[in-house]
Amino acid sequence: MIEKITFREAILKSMEEALDTNINSIILGQGVTDPTRIFGTTKNLVEKYGKKRIIDMPICEEGMTGFAVGASLGGLYPIQTHIRMDFLLVAMNQIANTIAKYNYMYGGMFQVPMLIRAIVGRSWGQGPQHSQSLQSIFAHFPGLQVIMPATAADVINAYSFATNNYKGPVLSIEHRLLYDFSFSSTISKDPFSSYIIKKGRDITIVATSIMVEESIKAANWIEERSNIRVEIINVLNVSNINYECIFQSLTKTRRLIVADTGWTRFGLTSEIISAVSQSSKIDLKSKPSSIGMTFSPCPTSHSLEDHFYPNMGDIVNNVYSQIYGHSHTFEIPSLEYCKKLGKKFKGPF
Amino acid sequence: MTKYEELFFSALRIRMVEEKIAEIYYSDVIQSPVHLSIGQEHSSVGVINHLEKDDLVFSTYRGHANYLAKGGDLKLLMAELFGKFAGFAKGKAGSMHLASKDVGVMGSSAVVASTLSHSVGAAYALKLKKDKNIAVVFFGEGATGAGVYHETLNMARSLETPLLLVCEFNDLAIFTKFNDVHSYQIENHAHSYGVETERVDEGWDLLEIAKSAKEVINKIRSDSLPRLLLINTCRYSQHVGPGDDSDLGYRNLDSMQKFKSLDPLINDMNLIEKFSSRIAIEIEEAIEFAENSPFPDPSELLTDI
Repeated sequence: MIEKITFREAILKSMEEALDTNINSIILGQGVTDPTRIFGTTKNLVEKYGKKRIIDMPICEEGMTGFAVGASLGGLYPIQTHIRMDFLLVAMNQIANTIAKYNYMYGGMFQVPMLIRAIVGRSWGQGPQHSQSLQSIFAHFPGLQVIMPATAADVINAYSFATNNYKGPVLSIEHRLLYDFSFSSTISKDPFSSYIIKKGRDITIVATSIMVEESIKAANWIEERSNIRVEIINVLNVSNINYECIFQSLTKTRRLIVADTGWTRFGLTSEIISAVSQSSKIDLKSKPSSIGMTFSPCPTSHSLEDHFYPNMGDIVNNVYSQIYGHSHTFEIPSLEYCKKLGKKFKGPF
Repeated sequence: MTKYEELFFSALRIRMVEEKIAEIYYSDVIQSPVHLSIGQEHSSVGVINHLEKDDLVFSTYRGHANYLAKGGDLKLLMAELFGKFAGFAKGKAGSMHLASKDVGVMGSSAVVASTLSHSVGAAYALKLKKDKNIAVVFFGEGATGAGVYHETLNMARSLETPLLLVCEFNDLAIFTKFNDVHSYQIENHAHSYGVETERVDEGWDLLEIAKSAKEVINKIRSDSLPRLLLINTCRYSQHVGPGDDSDLGYRNLDSMQKFKSLDPLINDMNLIEKFSSRIAIEIEEAIEFAENSPFPDPSELLTDI
């Protein structure tokens, strides 16, 4: 019997496992011991493992990230948390100039294993500096594993692999809206690789993070109303995309939508469509679509925010348009319906 | 050898290695920017001679002296500078990224101040693992202007880490003098974090540096708290490259002349004579080793990413 587990519980469980299985693992971050415990993902850890391993940090993203480099070089396994991904830009020197290059630059002498957890906020007025999904920036640098877990199983499998087996730096982008979602599947997948999360026949949606959920909802909507069968691939690892998985699916469906949480320009959607268009194996029946954030900073007012984020309605519309043309007359879910996906989240952050 | 002769030998060896690098640099066998430590060898040797193999050193792009003083292999360094596969990093690091895991040289960065925070994390790791070792980070006074220097002092003290911060004060951030662009005094600034400091004004004086370093390191080993050692030193060469650019008029030539007139690596002719031929042979062997080593295979381009 598979029990239900939320994304948040999966993270906490992974943290406990990492601390239990490796006595040299530490968790560091601003607020990891505070009353709210990083949205509950470090709950009870300082009580159980002590302040030396669960380390509250001053607000110093670059210093803290560099600290993690040194800790890793000194034989510890650091897991650091950044409560908003936007703050990682302050640590960019360490991530881009040091962490991503340490193994290569020293000819394999040092591997700096570590896990960096970065949380993406969305909705409820997070605004321009608390909401960014910056995966394409980090995936641009050779030397980082950038993952975006979309399910509780992704978290459990990937974090266990990262902390116990993988000998390099992993940046995990956790979507705040996923935290309260319950998942029943704990089937073990390749922990750092893309996989088919829903089988279909007529069109392939390649999605990341919460866009996987949006895609599943879109697929359900469509399949209740038509004979279209949607295949969905969870990218999971955005820095080392499993193209074999994507190409295999496209050989069957020959239609492609890429749905990402970030901006489409210079982004993951363009990256995947570029790779598909350069492949001689794939001959698409219709032009591929990319779905992502509107190309503006994230507005705070919810009336604008509703139009800023991509949602299941965009996906539904794209599926019908690719198969029946832009003048299709199929019903598209209303904005109010689409917004239900994140309705549980009421702030404050 | 007496203690002084040991220190002198180690410093002279670094001096001669770098002078050889400068000598051959324009032949283009070394295609990597070199930031020579000439004039500053004393601080590396004076501090590092008190370290054990498992004490961890974090360095800067001006790191040849740190690397050699800590026991980094000269042949592997030379091969690295030549861009050869036999280099300590298979030719991928070059002069600005020195490391030797076996002897605790943990890396250096071309981006000034980047290794400061690494050193605190490493010191914390040593303490948590009860290794009894310490971490040491070398940096120039120019690096103290970076925000992460403040972050480093704060974390080092508040997390009570066994860390020695060695400020090599040569008063030249490329061309810029410290007081022209900084509003604080380094020791007072460190005191405000609760970090004790020690200062050596005679940066040419191997024994004086060694004496102060010993005291400071002993304190760190006994109470696991960070200390800062400031050494007034003198960079003889240009910021980057093998030459002397003092004709550009940016530096105080009198103080450099004074430093040189007291530098034992220039003036102690007896010891220079005693050691130099032996060192020269070792250097020639290292260069021969580098010359005879193959370049990395093109497949190395995609290895170790």
